[in-house]
Amino acid sequence: MIHVSELTKNFLDLRLGHVTALECVNFNVQPGEIFGLLGPNGAGKTTCLRILSTVLRPTSGTATITGFDVSTHPAEVRNRIGFMSGNTGIYDRMTAWEMVEYFGRLYGMAEDTLQERITSIFTTLQMYDFKDVLGSKMSTGMKKKVSIARTIVHDPPVLIFDEPTSGLDVLVARKVLETIGLLRDQGKCIMYSTHIMREVEKLCDRIAIIHKGIILATGTPKELEHQHSKPDMEELFFELIDNYERQCRDEGYKAAALA
Amino acid sequence: MSWNNIQLIFLREVQDQLRDRRTLFMVAVLPLLLYPALGIGMLQMTMLFREQPRTVVILGAEYLPPPQLLKENRFVFTDRLTVTTEADLDKSDRDGPDSHAVQLIDQAKVIREKLRNRDQLEADIELVMQELNDEDRTTALQTELDQIEQDLIQIFASSQIQVLIIVPERFAEHLEKAKRQLVDRKVGAQNNFDYPRPIIVKNRADDKSEVAYTQVKQAMDAWEQEILKEQLSLAHLPETLPKPVGPKSVDLAGKKQIAANLWSKLFPALLVIMAVTGAFYPAVDLVAGEKERGTMETLLICPATRSEIVMGKFFTVMLFSASTALLNLASMGATGQYMVSVAGSGAFSRIGDIAFPSPASLIWLIVLLIPLAALFSALSLALATFARSTKEGQYYLTPLLMVTMGLTVFCLSPAVEIKPFYSIIPIVGVALLLKALLLAPVPTNELYFYVVPVLVTSIGYSLLALWWAVEQFKSEEVLFREAERFELRLWIRHLLCDKKPTPSFEEAGFCFVIIMLLQFVSLKFMGQAIEHATLANASIEANELKKAIGLLLLKLLMIQQLVIIFCPALFMGATLATSFVRTFRFRMPKFSMLALAVILPLVLHPLSLEFLSQLNWFFPKLSESVVKNFETMSDVQQPMWFVLLAFALTPAICEETAFRGFILSGFSRSGRVGLAIVLSSLMFGVTHMVPQQVFNATLLGLVLALIAIRSNSLLPAIIFHFIYNSLGVLHARVSTSWVETAPINWFFYVEDDTVRYEWPTLVIAAFVAIALLRWLVRQSNAETTSSVTFVHSPKPERLAGTGAATKPPIEIA
Repeated sequence: MIHVSELTKNFLDLRLGHVTALECVNFNVQPGEIFGLLGPNGAGKTTCLRILSTVLRPTSGTATITGFDVSTHPAEVRNRIGFMSGNTGIYDRMTAWEMVEYFGRLYGMAEDTLQERITSIFTTLQMYDFKDVLGSKMSTGMKKKVSIARTIVHDPPVLIFDEPTSGLDVLVARKVLETIGLLRDQGKCIMYSTHIMREVEKLCDRIAIIHKGIILATGTPKELEHQHSKPDMEELFFELIDNYERQCRDEGYKAAALA
Repeated sequence: MSWNNIQLIFLREVQDQLRDRRTLFMVAVLPLLLYPALGIGMLQMTMLFREQPRTVVILGAEYLPPPQLLKENRFVFTDRLTVTTEADLDKSDRDGPDSHAVQLIDQAKVIREKLRNRDQLEADIELVMQELNDEDRTTALQTELDQIEQDLIQIFASSQIQVLIIVPERFAEHLEKAKRQLVDRKVGAQNNFDYPRPIIVKNRADDKSEVAYTQVKQAMDAWEQEILKEQLSLAHLPETLPKPVGPKSVDLAGKKQIAANLWSKLFPALLVIMAVTGAFYPAVDLVAGEKERGTMETLLICPATRSEIVMGKFFTVMLFSASTALLNLASMGATGQYMVSVAGSGAFSRIGDIAFPSPASLIWLIVLLIPLAALFSALSLALATFARSTKEGQYYLTPLLMVTMGLTVFCLSPAVEIKPFYSIIPIVGVALLLKALLLAPVPTNELYFYVVPVLVTSIGYSLLALWWAVEQFKSEEVLFREAERFELRLWIRHLLCDKKPTPSFEEAGFCFVIIMLLQFVSLKFMGQAIEHATLANASIEANELKKAIGLLLLKLLMIQQLVIIFCPALFMGATLATSFVRTFRFRMPKFSMLALAVILPLVLHPLSLEFLSQLNWFFPKLSESVVKNFETMSDVQQPMWFVLLAFALTPAICEETAFRGFILSGFSRSGRVGLAIVLSSLMFGVTHMVPQQVFNATLLGLVLALIAIRSNSLLPAIIFHFIYNSLGVLHARVSTSWVETAPINWFFYVEDDTVRYEWPTLVIAAFVAIALLRWLVRQSNAETTSSVTFVHSPKPERLAGTGAATKPPIEIA
């Protein structure tokens, strides 16, 4: 469903010069699977997901979603994904119902299927009590629910969640994770990025650990823990990052010595 | 592009704006409340308004002849001025001296004394100059005179007197004497009307003084009229004698026209300003606001394309811009009309009855508002996209508003009327056409003639602006700009360290800005240099002077080219790009390109010459001084080689280095060659200042840029430019006699002492030019034309030259 190969993205930053946000990233995600992207802040998770959602263009490399390339067929890709991140807010001056309806129409859904779909989503997510509340009057939890409803309204085969639980209390976070689990059970292909280890352990079928734009390891959580003989994700994570930093330092010394 | 998506976005944005209190306030509430509130305010002001009495001082009022001019500190003929005379000093004795009057009279006396001194000095200088011819003494006296004049200005400005009238001693007596002589008919032999006259002192630079002066003048004129009448009747002469012509003026301004005049001044300006503000605030809220509230990415990941999103937002902004403008006009018109009807006999009654413009004019207003609103909406959207937050967006309003205001004020001037050239300038064309349409009682055919160019160019500008907005919206750098702190040091380091072989788009644009700024600064120096030369050579005869100034102008032209155009481009190329060779296209071109560069100008010159002379009616006339300077420079007296050096060789090298070198390389770095060619030639055109040349240079710039891109060398462009300009010089200097002979006069004829081209020449030139340009367009760029790409190219026939076109391309697998 999602194929990413040799994906690279460079930025120009005045302070840092040319920054490589992603360097030759490779991974595949299958339907009915949750693929976790685990990394600290600034690791390149958001950049990677933004490229998958066609909002950013890759500097080099390719990414295809359900067979469509993100740089050559962005419209087709956007039609087949649901994307939710900390940056995809909801409109202040629209009610919950209007918001979901608006995006459903933009996805080109027929009016009767759309109304049915919204009714079913609003029932599942228990959103009827704030159906006619304006975005500006909603609590954070309500807003998250509207965002999820907006993400899945057109029933896309691929779903991408970028840190969906950040800033949520335990109750709402749990609800969000449950919903994502349900979506996997429906056979969706799901990408999930986070920096919280427990979520990964609980939810993800396979993970990639990303740091400074480079994927350090890929596999199921169990595999990775075995390979590096660590008792849990957290230890594994620190070990991988420490190794990488040490390697970088050594190479730096070598380069300095050669010079 | 899916209209369904555009419509969806449009409807949502409109609903969103209507739910926003700020927008509603700006668009609807403000105009509906503002004008009535202003109207009430103005009515109240007129009730409270009373003109401040101005101070007039009369010295020597006792010498005033009858009839009575003054009546208790007022003029008989107007009661809007208070007059202080020396008599006031005696009057105030009863309850202590009136210190104000004393002060005024003292100041007046000082001024009178100084004026006397001045007259004396002027007479002295005259005397010394004529009889003694003593230069030192004259200079000394002149210095003294200047000093006195300075004192006078200062004393009068610091005094509280607005107008000072000095009546000479025994003025009434003189007048009486003259009158008696008139009765006895003794005028003639010794002219007794030659007595000292009163002086009125005022300060034109001070509004209060100027206003008081006009009133004093009215009062004095009326008074003088009385005296004149008396004298005429004494001399048994008719009263109409002093005005033998005395024309009677008849005012045929209809009420409707007076109203039209008012509307034609108010409506275009208000329409433009309101269309800008009406577009800007919604635009900022729709784009920068969306970034700020974090919904931009939500919208970007929906299936609508970027163009559809921009279009949806564009139509929303346009709707609000147009409705703001219309609501404002309607509210202002209604309020104004109501006020006039209410005021009746008040201050507004002078305006007369202001009927609303006719329905036809109002329809024109709406038709012209649409392209105007479209232009402002697209511009505002592009600016708002660039902004990171609504606050930043609002800062960008100021420059947009300033430019718009400048153009609007220009259109308000009664002297500016719609002309072919003005009709294609953005905003100006619309405003002037609207002004003319509102003013004309029945629009003439001439006005309808302007509707097409105004609408077409306005829509063109709107599309350009819209294209820019879409470009902005597609740019990652603009859409995801981080709110980073701007640091000059970091930025300069970035400029100097992270260089690429050729300059960037922004650097090329900046180079143009620098060239324009330097050109602006140099205007002053050019003017000064010419002035100095004229003064220094004042003694030599006119012909010689003309030659000297012409030479100077040519030298200045060369210096200007080198300093303003060549040096900045070269310096920027050396500091901002790593490859000097690639930036300035130092490369030997193919022979075919060199041949093209020699032949093409030979055929393009006659075409552009005739084309421009056909278009002469379109451009505004050049000012006389500009024409004179051109003539002086290209005068036959100047040595030919020098004129060629200044007009052909220097511009060819300097301008090509800047425009086809640095600027074109910078614009084409991102790979958008077409855009680079158009932009660089537009800039090349704009630096030529004079509209005719701007037009011509822009067209030539397209050809030159294409040559530079195709040959990837600056040399053919320089050769083309040199030959083209040389032809211009030769054309101006060639003698016309040889054209008369038989075979030659088939191709040329003479008009106004210049050689013109007959149609066979033009047809041949056009054919050759089209063939050459076609060949040039079909060439591939030199950089990629190695033998390998030639063979592997999917369309080999397009790469072949004219000669090779018939041969089948060789395929090598």
